[in-house]
Amino acid sequence: MEELVSLRGIIKHFPGVIANDNVSFTLRKGEIHALLGENGAGKTTLMNILYGLYRPDIGEIYVEGRKVEINSPKDAITLGIGMVHQNFKLIPSHTVLENIILGLKKSGLVIKSRKIGEEIKKLAESYGWRINPNAYVWQLTAGEKQQVELLKILYRDAKILILDEPTSVLTPQECRILLQALRRMAKEGKGIIFITHKLDEVFAISDRVTVMRKGRVLVTKETSETNMSELAQYMVGRPVIFTIEKKESRPSGEAITIKNLKAFNDKGVLALKDVNLKVMKNEIVGIIGVTGNGQQELVEVIAGLRKASGGSLIVDGVNIINSSPEKIIELGIAYIPPEPLRYGIAPNLTVLDNLFMKAYRYKPYSNGVIVNWKKIYNKAEELIREFQIVPENPYAKARSLSGGNLQRLILARELSGLIGEKIPRLIVAAYPTKGLDVGATEFVHKTLIEYSRKGSGILFVSEDIEEALMISDRVAVMHDGKIVRVFRPGEVDIDKIGLMMAGVEIAFK
Amino acid sequence: MSIEWIEQVLQLTVQMGTVYLLASLGEIYAERSGVLNLGLEGMMLMGAATSFMFTLAYGHLSAILTSIIVGALMGLILSILVVDMKLNQVVVGLAMTMLGAGLSGFFTFPEVRKNLLLRLNPSLPEEVLLIQQAQKLPEIQIPLLSNIPVIGKMFFSHNLLVYFSFILSIAMWFILFKTRIGLTIRSVGENPSMADSLGVNVYMVRRMTVILSGVFASLAGAYFFIGFHPFWREGVTAGRGFIALALVILATWSPMRAILGAYLFGGVETFQYRLQLFGLGAQSPYFLAMLPYILTIMTLIIISTESIKKRIGAPASLGIPYAREE
Amino acid sequence: MAKTIIMPHSVKIKRRLHISRKLSILTTFSTLVLAFGVSGIFFAMIGLNPLDVYSYMVGVYTSPTLLLKALERAIPIGLAALGLSIAFRMNFWNIGAEGQMYMGMFASTGIVLLHAYYDLIPDYLVLLLMILASFVTGGLWCGLPAFLKAKMRVNEILTTLMMNYVAMYFVDFLIYGPWRDPKGYGFPLSIPFPEYAKLTMIFGEFAYSGLLLLCIAVALAVVILRYTKLGFELKIVGEGIDIARYAGIRITKVITLGGILSGGIAGLGGLAIVSGIIGRLRPRASPGYGYTAIIVILLSALNPWLVVPVSIFFGGIFVAGDILQATLKIPGAAVEMHQALIFLFIVVGEFLKRYKITITREVVR
Repeated sequence: MEELVSLRGIIKHFPGVIANDNVSFTLRKGEIHALLGENGAGKTTLMNILYGLYRPDIGEIYVEGRKVEINSPKDAITLGIGMVHQNFKLIPSHTVLENIILGLKKSGLVIKSRKIGEEIKKLAESYGWRINPNAYVWQLTAGEKQQVELLKILYRDAKILILDEPTSVLTPQECRILLQALRRMAKEGKGIIFITHKLDEVFAISDRVTVMRKGRVLVTKETSETNMSELAQYMVGRPVIFTIEKKESRPSGEAITIKNLKAFNDKGVLALKDVNLKVMKNEIVGIIGVTGNGQQELVEVIAGLRKASGGSLIVDGVNIINSSPEKIIELGIAYIPPEPLRYGIAPNLTVLDNLFMKAYRYKPYSNGVIVNWKKIYNKAEELIREFQIVPENPYAKARSLSGGNLQRLILARELSGLIGEKIPRLIVAAYPTKGLDVGATEFVHKTLIEYSRKGSGILFVSEDIEEALMISDRVAVMHDGKIVRVFRPGEVDIDKIGLMMAGVEIAFK
Repeated sequence: MSIEWIEQVLQLTVQMGTVYLLASLGEIYAERSGVLNLGLEGMMLMGAATSFMFTLAYGHLSAILTSIIVGALMGLILSILVVDMKLNQVVVGLAMTMLGAGLSGFFTFPEVRKNLLLRLNPSLPEEVLLIQQAQKLPEIQIPLLSNIPVIGKMFFSHNLLVYFSFILSIAMWFILFKTRIGLTIRSVGENPSMADSLGVNVYMVRRMTVILSGVFASLAGAYFFIGFHPFWREGVTAGRGFIALALVILATWSPMRAILGAYLFGGVETFQYRLQLFGLGAQSPYFLAMLPYILTIMTLIIISTESIKKRIGAPASLGIPYAREE
Repeated sequence: MAKTIIMPHSVKIKRRLHISRKLSILTTFSTLVLAFGVSGIFFAMIGLNPLDVYSYMVGVYTSPTLLLKALERAIPIGLAALGLSIAFRMNFWNIGAEGQMYMGMFASTGIVLLHAYYDLIPDYLVLLLMILASFVTGGLWCGLPAFLKAKMRVNEILTTLMMNYVAMYFVDFLIYGPWRDPKGYGFPLSIPFPEYAKLTMIFGEFAYSGLLLLCIAVALAVVILRYTKLGFELKIVGEGIDIARYAGIRITKVITLGGILSGGIAGLGGLAIVSGIIGRLRPRASPGYGYTAIIVILLSALNPWLVVPVSIFFGGIFVAGDILQATLKIPGAAVEMHQALIFLFIVVGEFLKRYKITITREVVR
């Protein structure tokens, strides 16, 4: 079969990580090729290289047998490559037609909107879609917006289509329509790369599947020649058994009880459908699951940063749902956010400012009006020593700190009981070791375990199953906005965990 | 209230409004592409001053042409600072306004002006060198139509620039919403990185619209002086550049709606002065003068509500410099 | 002609990670020199020796009487700039100091008139009440756009700008109408302020009592920004709404309060104009001090301490303008031009500080 795309030996480094490590990948004419892997496996990076958003450090790209250099999306488009990103790149205040023809010369100086509108309509109808070219994009549903994105590509006669987790924003109904259309496109001879982390989708749509993990390609197979549990194993990997010394937990009293929690994500899709979970004091509850199944929304709702649309969060018998972040901080709920540089650190401020951006308003650091900087400075020095933050200068700008030190800074702020000199009743830690080196990771683990044994309840969200199994006292698997199962580490086979994460129902003995 | 009075008020309304219309047209393009040109007032003053000097030296045509060139230069400077150097648009815009006010006052100061005029045209007679006014653009009465009662004067008795501005705003509306050029400009203002990825040269588009806004602001200043109020004093446009800025918002970035808004503002201003004649107190004009600004603030609030924002909100990247990632 | 093509402008621009204090001061200084240089070209164009002009300018700062005049001008400018230091700290682009000053003038004149007509309070309380009223009124004039920004994300640049003109015409309206002095021969002026309503009553010389007011305001700004909870909250809000929400800060409250403080201090600048420099209300009483204040606070790098010397510097430019106009027949607009050039060059200087520009000559083929 004719090869549309061939990526050979692609290597791409980002500061501190290898995103693609000698990756090769081919796409044939007329096939739907699923690119499967967990978040952070390097799928999106690889496709961004093909689409000209990144340049590979090493490696070659062949399109229809010719060696090419793709320096920008513009180059990619010229080569017939189109990409639908997870976040739609559409202008909401423009019409469908305007979005589709932007940058196209063939639209004519005075836009021939009637003629083009007809063409777009016809093109859409050939895939079973009903689109009004003159509708404004803000009026469309997520599914329709995606159709516009695809039309944008198809109208440019693209032969190679990349879809980055296209079903994540769709309803099941819309999903079915999309898959049908994709099959038709493949039949026309286009090649489609379908990035996903959902196993069922792989079997529903793809002809071939490539599994990536930690920046490498593990396997490429005909979909018909494999099965779910094999792919799940590839995706999750064989656990290397680490052990970490920790005392038996003695849960004592509830830290928080989550009941029937519901919330929407930023795109207006119900991301938390019905979450029920209890975290006790003195224990670590790990949450594992494929990213994007509601973990982020869950931690944000607990931290008061996202409105819940239903359910309750009970602390000491009181429902605290939708309280202000301030109130939640005062209840002793600490929050270690994902992507600290975006959510948890003000990079232009000093270490001292960042350490005290929550505690400054409470006694003994403030009397209600005036902030006692001397006390704060002394405490900051103490914390910098205790949490081994480098540089040891409280007035260093946070931006000059390494990732590991930033995480230490956040830990120091969140855990050290700056508010009321108590330790937190609940610590919500979202991906606290992501992107950290071994030493920093170990420090985070040790610190969390230490606090759990001192009496804090910990909700530990991780992408890494091994890590979660290693440090948690109980593990909850999250899928599609729900907690599907809670168990103790060791109780459940790792293969089964992988399947649960992929949404496959498993009967327990 | 006689018919003549009404006719005159209506005619002046359109003529006054034309100042705002011209200035806002360029600004609409600049803002649609994502650049806030707060230097409008300074550029208008430069246009007014240029037209003053050149009308004295060589007549109207040269005045209009040179004011266009001066406006383009001011726009070019602004575009280098805010598009290429990515400096804060508010700060640079205000600086441009001060610069325009300063330079226009400086060069038209009697002593300086006399020297400059002599250098421009050594054959100018002595008495022209120090007069504070210039010849007004002639009005062109359209035969028959201008004799229609009440509205005849309003629509068909103006100088060329008034007719021109009216036709131009329709043309610019058409370009902005019906052509590829307009689509490109609007897309750059809404989502520059996406436009860039589709092969649009974001920087070039913004440079061009900013220069255009300079040209139109300067032309508006020239029109204001030689077409409406040819009596020179320092800061002659008296903040009208900011009214034009307000008009852009009131018109929610549409050249078509700007026509209506311009004549509304023009009407309000004409009324301010006419009302005094009825003995409604000398203070009334100042009370009315607040109206355009209050209307604009209310418009701003209305278009900031979620449901209206997505329809006619401000361009999404307005005021944000575009820097390519990597 | 050589056949190789020399590309002289392979310009590379890189963001600097660290800006040293030395570089910062050096850049600011050289941009100032450049601004003076360009102004000099304009002076030379009209047949003046720039050095003469500069010596007059320097003269302003060396003559005690002129320096006092510069100080007078510096007071409203400095107060407005201090107000801005608070707004800019939270990344709120208040360009409405001018309007907030007009509201301050309105309020303080209002108190004087109320007292003149109704005489409800003892004379010695009038000035205190004026200070309060101008603070509150100026504060509300900025608090409103701040609240709109916090609640509905209404663009503060545009609202504060528009409100400048509303305030200015509002004062015009009053002074051409109900507030015109009946004994003023029809001139648009309020009644002259009685002595107890003037800032001169403290030291007999406005420059001194004004300076006292300015210093109190500097202290106030420093205390607010450095030592209070609110000051820290402003700083975090200035770093971004997301991080401020995360820190549990009540954003609407902080932004609105910051806006009120910012406008309030600028409102005091309005008081300084009517009750200090002029001694009554007249239309267009501020020759753009509110805009000059923006230059001042940017040049001071948001540091309240620096506001005092920098505003005296700019006050001096205003005074120098008056003198140059009288002696060398230099147009008054030269002041504005000169300020604008300083402004522009400072802004470009900021760019040079932030980026490192290397120009390499490359020979191509």
